[in-house]
Amino acid sequence: MPMDTTIKDFEAAIAELETIVKKLEEGDLPLEKSLELYERGVQLSRFCHARLEDAEKRIEVLNERGELKEAPSSLGLGGNEDR
Amino acid sequence: MSTLFDLPFEEPEPEEPTPPPAPARRVLTVSELTGALRELLETTFSEVWVEGELSNAKVWTTGHLYFTLKDGNAQLKGVMFRSALRYLKFKPEDGLHVVVRGRLSVYDPKGEYQIVAEHLEPHGFGPLQLAFEQLKKKLAAEGLFEAERKRPLPSLPRRIGVVTSIDGAALRDIIRVLRRRYPNAHVVIAPCRVQGDNAAGEIVRALRQIARIDGVEVVIVARGGGSLEDLWAFNEEKVARAIAASPVPVISGVGHETDFTIADFVADVRAATPSAAAELVVRRKDEFCSNIDRLGDRLDAAIQGRIRKLESRLNALAARPGYAGFRGRVAMRGRHVAELTASLRHAMTASLGRRARRHQVGVRALDQFDPRHRLAAIRMRLVEHDGALAKALTRRLHGADARFKGVAGRLESLSPLAVLGRGYAVAWDASRTRILRDAATLTSGEHVRVTLARGEIRCEVVSTSASADEDRSGQTESPGTE
Repeated sequence: MPMDTTIKDFEAAIAELETIVKKLEEGDLPLEKSLELYERGVQLSRFCHARLEDAEKRIEVLNERGELKEAPSSLGLGGNEDR
Repeated sequence: MSTLFDLPFEEPEPEEPTPPPAPARRVLTVSELTGALRELLETTFSEVWVEGELSNAKVWTTGHLYFTLKDGNAQLKGVMFRSALRYLKFKPEDGLHVVVRGRLSVYDPKGEYQIVAEHLEPHGFGPLQLAFEQLKKKLAAEGLFEAERKRPLPSLPRRIGVVTSIDGAALRDIIRVLRRRYPNAHVVIAPCRVQGDNAAGEIVRALRQIARIDGVEVVIVARGGGSLEDLWAFNEEKVARAIAASPVPVISGVGHETDFTIADFVADVRAATPSAAAELVVRRKDEFCSNIDRLGDRLDAAIQGRIRKLESRLNALAARPGYAGFRGRVAMRGRHVAELTASLRHAMTASLGRRARRHQVGVRALDQFDPRHRLAAIRMRLVEHDGALAKALTRRLHGADARFKGVAGRLESLSPLAVLGRGYAVAWDASRTRILRDAATLTSGEHVRVTLARGEIRCEVVSTSASADEDRSGQTESPGTE
């Protein structure tokens, strides 16, 4: 399936973070290596948090020509118009 | 009672039979008769309902359906023209017990009468139900509902696609949920009709369009509640196939909890309602958040645990008696290195001096050998010579330096001065540049220094003897590579 590349990175980030945490928890690494892993872990966690934050709050609508347009404001405000 | 009266076509004879006027014999052509029959049948049976079992049902290339309707004793040929067939939701299969509404007609060329069906429905249950079951069976046989086909929803879709009516309740529900629980969600809507004849086609188009939008990583296909007819588009084959073909995972949220559509079966995830579909996306995000937080906490805890363990080990070490002399030993080692450096430097300058002198001698010799006219050439060579010499010297210096470093490193690793801690001492000359190894090199009154594990003593030689026989020299380390 064609998937986006950034999301790959980002799912990979979680996976890597998971292995790092496990390795650290096992705890028989030299200090130097532990610190290195820790630093990397912090990096990864920051990356994921950034990903959480940086989605842009937007609602867009595709028109007949396949172009994206900002949605009418009535949509976002939870109108009660019926079907 | 005479049996005569039972005969259907006999009429009681009037007593006076008046001779009937001789009827003119009228002969019809086949066409006339057929025409008359058609007239009769078409007016008498212009709208008739008839039930029976379908057989020989076949849609011809013309798009019309031909079939035979039969029961135990009789059969009736029938046709359903393409224009009417279009509205048929289910597939007319042989063996189906159906009810047909239509008119009778005569097919002149063959002299056959037949029913022209305007409507066909399964007997006993609704046509939509039948169509639903038929399609479900077909797609299931193709494996379109298999669990292995279902894809997981992305944790954090960059964009969330929504395929639904732009002014429907479904869209409002979805947006409301996302607004509340996924405030920075980026939503892209592909509007389409979700009810009526063209709905299925529009849904298919919208699905295709939205999957092409960059960043759309999940699509919600939704419609609010309604009757089976209202939701019908979501039971159509092309919609099911478009969902199956979607390059990104599809969540279906059609109707209410109790409504099941074909779209639900083929979607990667079925949500009971449009709101529930949005909740699924939110839940994935929430799971992701807590996962990240948990991992972050574990990361910190792991490294802090590690540091605490090191700290306590360090404290334990510091508490041990051997540690007390540690600082002193380090200082000592530093001094020894200083001694080595000094002697090395001395040796180096001596060597340089020798070379410099030799160089000068060479220059003088050249001067004497050729007083004048090759002076320029000589100067050139001189300069070259000079350069080469300098280069050789630096090379040698570098070599010596590296060697020295090697030696120093080895010395460090041997940790020779550690023995001071055990009560030995090192005796130096007064300037602390030379370690004393032979009493014979000293004279009475000379000053020496003695390094102990802690501190240093300045001493004056009272007397010397060559045979102390205590063999202390064995304890002093060996700058043997000098």
